[in-house]
Amino acid sequence: MSGVLVRNGVSIDDGFAEAFPMKATRILITAHNLTWARHAAVAATGFATSVIACGCEAGIERELTPEQTPDGRPGYSVLLFSMSGKELAKQIERRVGQCVLTCPTTAVYAGLSDGPDSAALGKNLRFFGDGWQQSKVIAGQRYWRIPVMDGEFVAQEMTPVVKAVGGGNLLLLARDTETALAAAEAAVAAMQQLPNVIMPFPGGVVRSGSKVGSKYPALGASTNHLFCPSLVGLVPQTELTNETRCVMEIVIDGLSEADVGAAMRAGMDAGIRLGAAGGLLRISAGNYGGKLGPYHFHLHKLMGVE
Amino acid sequence: MSLTLLQLRKASALHVDLRGITPATLAGLAVADIERLTVTHGTQTLPLAELFSVSQAGAPTDELRLEGDLSRFDRIGWQLAGGRIVVEGSVGTYAGACMTGGEMHITGHAGDLAACEMAGGTLIVNGNVGDFAASTLPGSMDGMRGGCFTVRGHAGSRFADRMRRGTALVFGDVGDFLASRLVAGTIAIGGRAGAHVGYGLRRGSVIFAGPAPEVPPTFVPALTSAEVMWQLLARDLARHGGPFSTLPTRRIQRHLGDVAAAGKGELILAL
Repeated sequence: MSGVLVRNGVSIDDGFAEAFPMKATRILITAHNLTWARHAAVAATGFATSVIACGCEAGIERELTPEQTPDGRPGYSVLLFSMSGKELAKQIERRVGQCVLTCPTTAVYAGLSDGPDSAALGKNLRFFGDGWQQSKVIAGQRYWRIPVMDGEFVAQEMTPVVKAVGGGNLLLLARDTETALAAAEAAVAAMQQLPNVIMPFPGGVVRSGSKVGSKYPALGASTNHLFCPSLVGLVPQTELTNETRCVMEIVIDGLSEADVGAAMRAGMDAGIRLGAAGGLLRISAGNYGGKLGPYHFHLHKLMGVE
Repeated sequence: MSLTLLQLRKASALHVDLRGITPATLAGLAVADIERLTVTHGTQTLPLAELFSVSQAGAPTDELRLEGDLSRFDRIGWQLAGGRIVVEGSVGTYAGACMTGGEMHITGHAGDLAACEMAGGTLIVNGNVGDFAASTLPGSMDGMRGGCFTVRGHAGSRFADRMRRGTALVFGDVGDFLASRLVAGTIAIGGRAGAHVGYGLRRGSVIFAGPAPEVPPTFVPALTSAEVMWQLLARDLARHGGPFSTLPTRRIQRHLGDVAAAGKGELILAL
């Protein structure tokens, strides 16, 4: 057990983030130009903040230059995570079908070269072609060509599905709203530089951190009252001090444990650079006592302190 | 893993059927056992030793190497499923027919029906091939159905008749009725094509990297260029080099059909 860890005035909890196994895939969306690729990618990753009610967690991983895509057009790399392969397959079909197929000039490809499992990408969407769809096998990969009003929509038949890690998180405890947002934005910007991870909440940040359970039996999760500054003095226990007036959480999903860990470290470093002078007072993480998720990201260990 | 070398003793007067002589069947056999294997020669059966001198060496993969003028040796690589066959010379009919995997390389020419009903693997012929390459066995409904077949020379008529899947390339010219009754798959031609291109074509893509063929009246010009699919296809074909190396930078003109057969395939002319 290590002692108090303070970096640039920021206190780092001797705690850990608890994460869970998920199923994930990467898809590449290209279009005639970056604007239309972005429209498709944003739409396809919309309403995908949490598996609690969205079916999947999804986000744009990075922008792709024409040299980085199969068809030589600009595009975006998108990661989608779900709790099961079956649910992931359902989400891929709905999101690609409604948000990519519909978007002018787009095409969609698998972004992972291999995986233990796979899900349909264009395999079922091809039936939109009403019998005029055609397949083309190129270098061992099958693509579907679906006639649409601007030409044809090209979609790779399948996308590999891999085991992944979801729910890595950081809690940034700050002096006020302004500094909490600044710290969170800096952390998200640093994490977005890394491959294989997404931060699925709006702007990468969630202000409604939750705990398991609720006083209402119908709800499986409810507000994390221990970190709510508005409840200090009202609740028997709190994690906050009088100086801490605003807390932001960043949730990270990644293709591997190492990816999530690297992103958390990058986020912590970004927050520490702002320091206490910048309003960030403490970095913590959410867990469930270590009993629910097999992946534990100890903050001190991520900082290189055992 | 071993390399088996079969060197032809003298040119055969009659056709010899070499089906069954593959790297897999020779693997693990001693030279004496290989020499006793029989093949049909006309109406007779002969031990392999009467036709070839046999030797072996270690190799990283199972490989069969044949040397000599084998233009009367048919069905070399018949149903090849793995390993590698190299022929230093020309071969007879049905070269690589029905192969499902592995690799076969012929430095000379191949006769008729090369790669017919090929379903997988790679077949490269440095020279020319005869008629009905990549097509069907006589009486069968489906031709080539997988793998990659490359002819660096010219091809005869009815190339890829009833082909269903896979990629077939000819660096040089092809005869009449190219891609007749094509069911699907990709064909790329580097040279000139004869008459009646795509007769009865159902689906699939026929790419012309060389001079434009005479497009039959039963094909209609496409109003869209299918640029996305073209880039995927052209980039893959470009790795074969030769007349295909510049395809990704070239614009295309497509013709769809054969509407006389309710077809929805495409003739792609690289401009």
